[in-house]
Amino acid sequence: MNIKQIAKAAGVSVATVSRVLNHPENVAPATRERIQKIIDEAEYTPNWFAQGLNFNRTKTLGVIVPHMLTAMYTDIISGIEEVARPKGFITFLCNVERDPKMEREYIGQLIQRRVDGIIIMSSTLEEKYISVIEAEKIPVVLIGENREHGQCNSVTVDCRLGAAEMMAHLIETGHRSIGFLWGNDPQQETTNMLAGYKNILRANGIPINDGRILKTENSIEGGYLGARKMIADEWPDAIFATSDEIAYGAMDALKDSGICIPEDIAVVGFGNNRMSNLVDPKLTTVELPLRKMGIYGARILFDLIEGENDDRTPRQILLQSKLRIRRSCGHKERIEEMF
Amino acid sequence: MLKTDFLGMKLDNPLIVAAGPWHRDGEGLKASIKAGAGAVVTESIISDTLLDVRPHIASDGQGAQNIRLYSNIQIEGWEREMRIAKSAGGVVIASISGHTPSELAYLASKLEKFGADAIELSVSNPMSEGLEVMASHAETIYEMTRAIVESVNIPVIVKLSQNTTNISKVAKAARSAGCSCVSAINTVRGILQIDLENARPTLSSYGGISGEYIRPLGLASVATILQTVDVPVSGIGGISTGRHALEYIMLGASTIQVGTAVMVGGRPVIGNILKEMESWMKDHKIKSPDEIRGKALKNLKSFDEMKHEPAVSTVTGVACREDCEKCVTCCIYDAVVRDGGTVRVDRNRCMGCGLCTFLCPENKLSLGW
Repeated sequence: MNIKQIAKAAGVSVATVSRVLNHPENVAPATRERIQKIIDEAEYTPNWFAQGLNFNRTKTLGVIVPHMLTAMYTDIISGIEEVARPKGFITFLCNVERDPKMEREYIGQLIQRRVDGIIIMSSTLEEKYISVIEAEKIPVVLIGENREHGQCNSVTVDCRLGAAEMMAHLIETGHRSIGFLWGNDPQQETTNMLAGYKNILRANGIPINDGRILKTENSIEGGYLGARKMIADEWPDAIFATSDEIAYGAMDALKDSGICIPEDIAVVGFGNNRMSNLVDPKLTTVELPLRKMGIYGARILFDLIEGENDDRTPRQILLQSKLRIRRSCGHKERIEEMF
Repeated sequence: MLKTDFLGMKLDNPLIVAAGPWHRDGEGLKASIKAGAGAVVTESIISDTLLDVRPHIASDGQGAQNIRLYSNIQIEGWEREMRIAKSAGGVVIASISGHTPSELAYLASKLEKFGADAIELSVSNPMSEGLEVMASHAETIYEMTRAIVESVNIPVIVKLSQNTTNISKVAKAARSAGCSCVSAINTVRGILQIDLENARPTLSSYGGISGEYIRPLGLASVATILQTVDVPVSGIGGISTGRHALEYIMLGASTIQVGTAVMVGGRPVIGNILKEMESWMKDHKIKSPDEIRGKALKNLKSFDEMKHEPAVSTVTGVACREDCEKCVTCCIYDAVVRDGGTVRVDRNRCMGCGLCTFLCPENKLSLGW
């Protein structure tokens, strides 16, 4: 059935059927329900292309993903789609492999395809590239921090606080020499985490040893190599990895060297990937509200698309991480756990 | 008779059906309005819906324990549910829960747009949180409340927890952040029962205890807040009869909220409570709850203010039940003894503790001097 046949079957005008589809609040409830029933029975879906012409919408979103193989990004994407799908939108996923050039190219492509909005995760781009999108009147929301774009619509998590909470926990449970395996992405968040790491050491009167801060790639391999380097000379009491992947790699390296976790060295991560509850010992980590980040990114974006944010002040949502205390940190006293 | 002005909203009566799974959608809210509730509160709406663990509600007839009950309808879906809820008229309060001020402000502003008459901030669910519940931190509550108050033009209620060392401090923080009212109390962290045969707690985690068990805690919290902070209070905790509701009102509660009683007994409980309230008021020639509101609070004294009277237990009347030894058994000072068909109190032994006066089924004992 097409819209004319639906109208005929319901004994109303095409305009009324269209209102039921697009502005149901403007149709009397009884009429609305009667027409909706016919629409449902006929399994009628509106012509997407015609709708696009009518409303100047393509019902598509562009999502820039820094690195598809990093688990946290897929959780964020699922949150975005959870909001976008019921609104009849589909999502273009653009995996940019942490390459700013690819990121710029994809943004250009999305603009050309007239997407209705763009979400960029952990952007490394300078502000001028974001302005290009805004100049095209396409709403943009950033998920993750970027110091460059203070005035953007954004969803962020206070990773400095998250890292500080983890450090406080490690020190409380008796660790003093704590190594920091610093993954290279997301750039701003991991930099904030380093600040949290240093703050808590300072607050506890523990000298900061730059030799204990090791840059590495954000991957299992990066964690493996980083941990090997970290235990080459003197062992730390604990290793704090800026992602769970790095922590898995570090655990693997320690096991290969015959070092027991957490008896000899404690290992903790950041992110709370699904696997972190399954590795042995179960990984103590900081939970990031990943799905929620995606959900809010999409919510803010739709508010902009639907013209709800009329006062033009950027909408910024700050979310909270949670300490997940498990076994790999070697704690004995359960005083701050989640119940 | 029961008409109540609550935060500028005209309610038919002060009975609000509280946040909970019975209000998981618009139809549930509408049903409570139709059953006579003065107002209704939605199940707590959160930023991202969670999978429910099963089972998640237990009851032993006295009270209930729940683990993790939040709305499983996303905020977007609540536009539709609010429309359904409000289609029968009535006052609908939207309950929200979250961890940061910005997400709470977002949820509140959306719900205001969808037609909520007020917002209730629920920050005190004792489930799946750290051992220190959020509601015990006055600064956190201040910031959350502030963010919500600044983002909406409807009254904001903050629902407080008994799981805190100083509920007044938290109530004060909420008030200074601009809330219109506080409601107290939320469920209390607990374990309902242990199954001895299988060595298992009733539910697989700590949960929020509600119902009969928490009424004394609720009454105390409401009284404490009202004695220390200038803020209207909506009383919650273990209300299942008109008498319970009036107890809260006599302590000063502006409205009362009923949850577990409706969950266990169904919506007829709403009408029953209202009838019982009216009937007590009629018997006592009270025309409006305003006449009794807060009357009992004046009689709640500090130790300093209490009078030290040499009162002892006195037996009035003689026809005592032969099958009852309660007063004799319970007397920790061995002052009550059976004397033929009645009981006698040794006035030199009695320390006036009062326990026998509460336990006597015939009300034969009273304190006096």
